[in-house]
Amino acid sequence: MAEEKKTTTAKKAVPKKTAAKKTTAKKAPAKKVAAKTTETKTVKKKAAAKTVTFRVKRGERWQEYDVAYDASTTVLSGLEQIKGDQDGSLTFRRSCRASICGSCGMKINDRSRLACKTKIKDMIEGMDHRNYQGRDVISIAPQGNQPVIKDLVVDITQLFNKVEAEEPYIKEGPERVEAKDKTAYEQVNAVSNCIMCGLCYSDCTELEVNDNFHGPAALAKAFRFVADPREGQKTDRLKKLSEKGGIWDCVRCGMCVDACPKGVAPMEAIGKLRHRAIEAGITNNRGAKHAIVFKDDIRNGGLLNEPMMLIKTTGLFGAIEQIPNALHLAKKGKVPSFFPEKIEGLDEVKRMFKVLEETELDVETKVLDEGPGAG
Amino acid sequence: MGLSKDLNYAYYPGCAAKQIQKEADWSARAIAEELGISLHDMPKATCCGAGNLQEHDPAAGLAVNARIFSQAEEMGMDIATICNTCLQTFSYANQRFKNEPELLADINEVLTAAGIRPYEGTIDVKHLAWVLVDDLGLDKVKQKVQNPLSGMKVAPFYGCHALRPFEVFAGRGGERPLYLDQLIQAIGGEVVDYQGKDKCCGFHVMLAGEEDFLSMSGGHALNAKNEGADVMVSPCTLCDMAMGAYQAKAEKKMGKKIGLPEMSISQLVGASLGLGKDRLGTDRLHQDPTAVFKKYGVEL
Repeated sequence: MAEEKKTTTAKKAVPKKTAAKKTTAKKAPAKKVAAKTTETKTVKKKAAAKTVTFRVKRGERWQEYDVAYDASTTVLSGLEQIKGDQDGSLTFRRSCRASICGSCGMKINDRSRLACKTKIKDMIEGMDHRNYQGRDVISIAPQGNQPVIKDLVVDITQLFNKVEAEEPYIKEGPERVEAKDKTAYEQVNAVSNCIMCGLCYSDCTELEVNDNFHGPAALAKAFRFVADPREGQKTDRLKKLSEKGGIWDCVRCGMCVDACPKGVAPMEAIGKLRHRAIEAGITNNRGAKHAIVFKDDIRNGGLLNEPMMLIKTTGLFGAIEQIPNALHLAKKGKVPSFFPEKIEGLDEVKRMFKVLEETELDVETKVLDEGPGAG
Repeated sequence: MGLSKDLNYAYYPGCAAKQIQKEADWSARAIAEELGISLHDMPKATCCGAGNLQEHDPAAGLAVNARIFSQAEEMGMDIATICNTCLQTFSYANQRFKNEPELLADINEVLTAAGIRPYEGTIDVKHLAWVLVDDLGLDKVKQKVQNPLSGMKVAPFYGCHALRPFEVFAGRGGERPLYLDQLIQAIGGEVVDYQGKDKCCGFHVMLAGEEDFLSMSGGHALNAKNEGADVMVSPCTLCDMAMGAYQAKAEKKMGKKIGLPEMSISQLVGASLGLGKDRLGTDRLHQDPTAVFKKYGVEL
C-alpha cells in the first residue's frame, strides 16, 4: 500500500508546489496530502482558466461538455460543475470525495477509476509511471460488466450479490485458531481495504466473457476469510472456491491490481487462494492440476513437457478431446516432443528441491498492521 | 542500471519458444544477429514456473527464479526474453529480491545449501522488444530496414504479462506503453488502434475454460480486423499461440471469419530487415501472411 501512495503522488507537478508535495509524498499519511491539495484548489481556482472537453456516455450517445479546471480539479468536480451549471440531468453516483466510499467509480479514458481520485490534469498530461498517455478530450463512461441504469450509474447488484455469496463473516468450525498476535492478520490486512467501488469488477477481462465468474472483489473478500485465523471452515470455503466460476477461472491479466484504488491487489489474493487450495489437497480440477504439473517437470527435466502437461491437466479423456487441437497445430509443424531436451545441471535443481522440502519458508507478501485504522 | 554491456544479453526464450512456438525463437535470434545484439544461451536455465509453480509452491517459485538470475549474473548480463509470462514471472520475483533483502537472504540460503551460486540482486529482466527500443535505439533499427512495410496496417497486441501490475515492469508496463507502436512505425508500418490492444488473450484458461479463452482471443482479433488491421503482432509466444494458432478455433466458436494473420514482433521486424521466411519461420503461422506482405511489397 505504501507503493500505491507513492505512485499516485510522486510525479512532476506544477513548479511551485512540487518541493512541498514531494517531501510529503513518501512518508506523510494520506490525510495530510489530501489537506494540501484542497488548499491549493481554493487558492488556484480564482486563477483557473483552462477548459477541457468531457465526452460523457449517456445511454447510446456521447454528449460533450466544457469543464474549467486547474492543477487540482478532479474529474468528479468536473462532473459536478456540469450538473450544477450546465445540465442537471447528468446522473452519477458520488458521496465522500475522498476515495473512501467507493461510489464514483467509472471508466475515465477507457480504464475504471474513482472520479474523486482522478485529476483532470493527469488525464490530459499523462502519467509517466503508469505509461498513461494524456489525451485532449476526456471520455467518461459507466463501469463495465454491469447493466447501466442511467448515464454513469450502473446496477451494482451483481457485484454485491457475488460478495455476499462468499459468506463474508467468520464461521464457527474445527479449523478456528486463536490469533496469537498482530502478525496473524498479515494476510487479512492485505485485502481488507476493499471499499467495494467495483473498479476491479468493471475492468475484469474474465467477466467480459463469463458472467458466472465470482470476480476479483468477491475473491479478495473470500481470501480475507480463508486467511483469518478465527475462521472455522477454511477448507470448506476453499472447496467451494475451486468450483467452476471460482479461483481457477481467473486469467491472471492483472487488470484488477492496476484498477484498485486501495492497493488490495485481488489477483495476488487469488494466487494465494490457489496455493491454499492445493495445500488443502483440493486438486481435482483442471486449474489445480495444471499448476501442479510445473513443479514436477522443472524438478525432473528442467523444462515444461508440453504434451504431458496437457494429459496431466485434462486427464486422458480430456486429452482425447484435445486431439483435434493437436492435429491443427501439427499442420504447421507444431508438434512438441514427449521428451523435450533436458537442461544442464539438473542435479543442482534436484538438490535445490530437496533443500526446499526440508525448509519451511513463508515467502508470501504480507501487510503489517501499522497502527490505528490500519487493516 | 542492470549488467548488460555492448548489447550482450542472457537469452531466455521460454518453454513455448523451445517447443511449439519455435518460429518466435528463430526470428528473435535472426533479428538480434542482424541488428548486432548478442543473445547468449542459458543451458542451465529451467522453466520459469509461469506463475503456476509460484501458486503451487511459492518458495520453490522464487528459488527457481533466483537460480536463473544467478546464472545471468555470473554471465555478467541482464536477461532478455521473448515470452510475456516469463517476463512477468521474473519481474515479480526480481522486484521482490531487490526490495526485500531478507527474502533474498532466505532464498540464497536454499541455493547455497544446494551448492548453487547465490543471487546478488543485480540483474535486470527485459523483453527483447525493449532492448530494441531502449538499448539499441530505433534509429539503428531504421537503418537496417530493407523492406519497409509501406504503410501496412499493424495491430499491436501487448499482452497482459508485459503490462500489469505496472509496478513490476520498471516503467515499461502500465496502461499504454508505446514500444510496439514505435517499432511498427520504425519499420514503416501504420499502427492500428483498437479496444483489445491491452486486454487478455485468454491463454491461461485455455485448458480450464476453453470457451472463455476463445471468446477473448477471437474477440480481440476480430476487433483489430474491424479497425482495419492487415496483421497483428505480439511480443509474447503465448499470445501468438492464442491469437494466431487458435484463431481458426475462435472463428468456429464465434461463427465469424476473422482471417487476421498474427505473428511475433520479431517476425515482422525480421521481414522488414529482409531476413526471409526460412530464418523467420513464417511458414509455421496458421494465418498465412503471404498475401498481406505481397500487397505491401514486402519480400519474404
